Amino acid sequence: MLAVRGLAKSWPGGDALFAQVDLAVAAGELVAILGESGAGKSTLLNIVAGLDRADAGTVEVGDTRVSALDEDGLARWRRRHVGFVFQAFHLLPYLSVAENAGLPLLLNGVPAAERRERVQAALASVGLAGRGDRRPASLSGGEMQRVAVARAVVHRPALVLADEPTGNLDETNAAATLEALRAAVKREGAAGVLVTHSPVAAAAADRVLRLAGRRLAPA
Amino acid sequence: MSAALAATLLRGSLSGNRWRSLLAAACIALGVALAGAVHTLHASALDEIDQAARVLAGAADWQVEGPRNGFDDAAYAAVASLPAVAVASPVLELDAPLASGEGTVRVLGIDPFRAARLQPGFLAGEGARGGEGATVRLDAGAAWLTPAAAARLSARPGGTLRLRGPLGEVRLAVAGLLPALDTGGPLVVMDIAAAQLAFGRVGVIHRIDLRLAPSVPREAALRAIAARLPPGVTLRRPGDEALRTAGLTRAYRVNLTALALMALFTGGFLVFSTLALQAARRRREFALLRALGLTAGGVRAFLAMEGALLGVAGALAGTALGLAASRAMLERFGYDLGAGFFAGSGRVFAPDAAALALIGGLGVATAVAAALAVTRPLSRLDVAQALKDRQVDLPAAPGGWAAPLALAAAATAAAWLPPAGEIPVGGYLSIGLALAAAVLAVAPASRALLERVPARDRPLGTLALAQVRSLPGHLAAMVSGIVVSVALTAAMAIMVHSFRLSLDGWLAGVLEADLFARASPRGDAVVFTPAVQQGLAAVPGVARVDPIRFERLTPEGAAGPLTVIARPVTPALLRGFQAQPAEVPPRAGDAVNAWVSEAAVDLLGWKAGDEVTLPLAGRRARLHVAGTFRDYSRTWGAVLLDLADYRRITGDALANDIAVHLAPGVDAAAVAAAVGRVVAGVPGAELHDASFIHARALRIFDRTFAATYALEAAAILIALAGVTSSFAALAWSRRREFGVLRHLGLTRGEVIRLLALEGGAAGLLGAGLGLAAGAAVSVVLVHVVNRQSFHWGMAIHWPAAALSVLAAAVVALCALGASAAGRAAVAREAVHAVKDDA
Repeated sequence: MLAVRGLAKSWPGGDALFAQVDLAVAAGELVAILGESGAGKSTLLNIVAGLDRADAGTVEVGDTRVSALDEDGLARWRRRHVGFVFQAFHLLPYLSVAENAGLPLLLNGVPAAERRERVQAALASVGLAGRGDRRPASLSGGEMQRVAVARAVVHRPALVLADEPTGNLDETNAAATLEALRAAVKREGAAGVLVTHSPVAAAAADRVLRLAGRRLAPA
Repeated sequence: MSAALAATLLRGSLSGNRWRSLLAAACIALGVALAGAVHTLHASALDEIDQAARVLAGAADWQVEGPRNGFDDAAYAAVASLPAVAVASPVLELDAPLASGEGTVRVLGIDPFRAARLQPGFLAGEGARGGEGATVRLDAGAAWLTPAAAARLSARPGGTLRLRGPLGEVRLAVAGLLPALDTGGPLVVMDIAAAQLAFGRVGVIHRIDLRLAPSVPREAALRAIAARLPPGVTLRRPGDEALRTAGLTRAYRVNLTALALMALFTGGFLVFSTLALQAARRRREFALLRALGLTAGGVRAFLAMEGALLGVAGALAGTALGLAASRAMLERFGYDLGAGFFAGSGRVFAPDAAALALIGGLGVATAVAAALAVTRPLSRLDVAQALKDRQVDLPAAPGGWAAPLALAAAATAAAWLPPAGEIPVGGYLSIGLALAAAVLAVAPASRALLERVPARDRPLGTLALAQVRSLPGHLAAMVSGIVVSVALTAAMAIMVHSFRLSLDGWLAGVLEADLFARASPRGDAVVFTPAVQQGLAAVPGVARVDPIRFERLTPEGAAGPLTVIARPVTPALLRGFQAQPAEVPPRAGDAVNAWVSEAAVDLLGWKAGDEVTLPLAGRRARLHVAGTFRDYSRTWGAVLLDLADYRRITGDALANDIAVHLAPGVDAAAVAAAVGRVVAGVPGAELHDASFIHARALRIFDRTFAATYALEAAAILIALAGVTSSFAALAWSRRREFGVLRHLGLTRGEVIRLLALEGGAAGLLGAGLGLAAGAAVSVVLVHVVNRQSFHWGMAIHWPAAALSVLAAAVVALCALGASAAGRAAVAREAVHAVKDDA
């Protein structure tokens, strides 16, 4: 599903951040990338999402060669095929929980009735059934991150990317979030990439890689 | 809060928001400058009037004064012979047109030796440069000029001064200068008998300057003098002129000041919006300071200090700007603020320090009040939550309908309050309350309106609607600013439009004749004699002439003057003047039928059916008030009398104006030319057709309100600049949200369009509420403020096209401003935006 070949990226000053990175993730597989702060794992994730450009190499998701798309093309591709989970949740404060979770469906023009149905299912899958009308501010951190997971998969993307999704959570909530993420990836048949500096979080993945010394290798 | 902490925080806050802070201070400065300039111009004008009155009165402690057309000089003999009077000096005073047609000059006819006993400056002193001293002064053909008059008329001793009188040109030899009277302004002084003869006022004087005998008790002396005076001729103190002028111009001045204060009010909203935004952006900073031990009061004090700093900067800049502007306007236009109240030379520049300090203080108070309003939601700040979460906004004000409805009810009640003096205090209070109600209605009205907007499947529209519907603190502050500025602009537009249409209709009715001749377009020295009136009536093709005579006098017991308009009264004329009722009733006994203006109704309490007395030509005339009429020419009272009645009472057969009606079917141009030849026989007289006068009056109206239009434009531009600036800051503070949206697949263009939609929605909400509030304020302006200030009744007319353009412009500019702000916010990479911790 996701195929990354020969990816290289340098710091603005010219020093290499990473080079010759290859990565393949199958549909329904969750891969964790471990690494210290500054190793370049978030940059790698952003290149995969088309939010940053690599110096060399290619990224393909399904039949789409991501690195060949222009900026607006990338935005439209992300809208349809990518789900994100951020460390800081990033729910929109002026939307309800259901509206936040259904945002990708809204962006993709899914009719309201179908949207409602899929949002309810997504929220139920992360253990938040019946909380759709609440505002994000009334939720705990763990609940907010589970809403973010629901938002990441509600539109059945080909690729789910999670950047330190448990960085702001306690152990219990972190475990619940990772379980929700893993289950969603499996259920939707997406390729999942989780970057983290936490071996505990990485343990939730099917496969763990480590980005260190400018190379990506099995941990 | 320590001074060091306050200084550190203030420095950071003001330098971090340099442009918004400057804009907020500029708004305060604009309001302060306008109010300061209006007040300084007026204070300077009154100062010159006061100085002139005092220098001419000299040692006189009382003055006898009568109607504008003067009174019988027999009163002088009666007063001067009283033992209680030490010195009495008669004065003839009129504004004579220059023969060149370039304006008028004030002519004082005096008895030199009597006048000099009160004011030695009337006698040529060492500074005077005359050729032949006293013999020249008694010469009927000689005049003495103040240096100001000499400079203005470019006249020198030995030269000739040419003026216009009713009998033709008046040539006077300039005998010398009177430097001691220079503060009296531009004056031509001549012998009283010569002046009476030259200007057709034999037996008439305008004033008697008096010094009472020191040995006689003052009250007794005044009673004795008053007993010798004919009706309509009264005693007053020399300094009363400035007070009386101040009374006449008070309504106009207060209204201009109120306009300036409205600009200040708008400025206050921008300060509120600026500080609200800063408070929102620094919410976590305040939470941190609170966590470190700063009290809620400390945070409030900090914001109040910030508001005060902006206010002081604005007030200082505004005061300096106001002084500079008033000085420049004085030099360029004199004292006239556009309404023709002042004809002074503009030489006196007398800023009123106390008043300027008060206006500046008002500017500071506005800014501090705005700052304190910001602290209200901050007091609800949950420190722990604010430290944890990354939402960047103030808690939205809960805002139900109770407060705005209560304020709207109070505004309605205040509109019924009577004026204090001639100041429509209740009207202004009502406007303030209505605006406050509109601002407090922003939150509940937005909820009520937007909840009814059906949900659609358009992602940008849905997101924008959700943002506006939740109406966070910033947006509420911005919409409030739009509401206030749109309300004030719309209210002024409706009022001016209503006034213009009412004036237009009134002019069409009043100018019912074909041609109008005016004997003395400037000054009051020239009139139409009966011979000229007959000559005009005899022109072939002329169906009828209506001579019109004006007199200005003060009724007994009244504080202000009253204009008497004497002309043939017909039902058509009454309809033109919008009289109620518009019919001529049969005479009721001895009393003469009279119609009184709306101002006379308001100021003198006269009403239809009353019997009143008026001092006409030294006699008490009994008048029956047959009805009221509309008079857009004056802010003081007027009485309309039938010319035949006026002439029977006064014996005065002169006319200031003549309305000429042409016979049907005649060659109007040929008859007008023939009428023009008769009018040309009166030096300086003018003849115009009704359409010319109509158009000229509307041109003057538009010129007078040009300042209002400029202020309106300034208010709306400031508000829109504030909105754009607020959106820029808001967009910057929401860059993480935009980063998320870009992660979710929105293009940069779509994020910008999203902000444009939000801007447009905020603009639409603000414009809608602003128009509603503006309509309410305009009703108060038309029916309360105008009526109580100027005593002019008018109907409301809605300028639908202009209001639509205003609303569309506000919505479009809000959308443009917001999208421009969004462009800058999304320039930052989305990946950085979602990680940004600011």
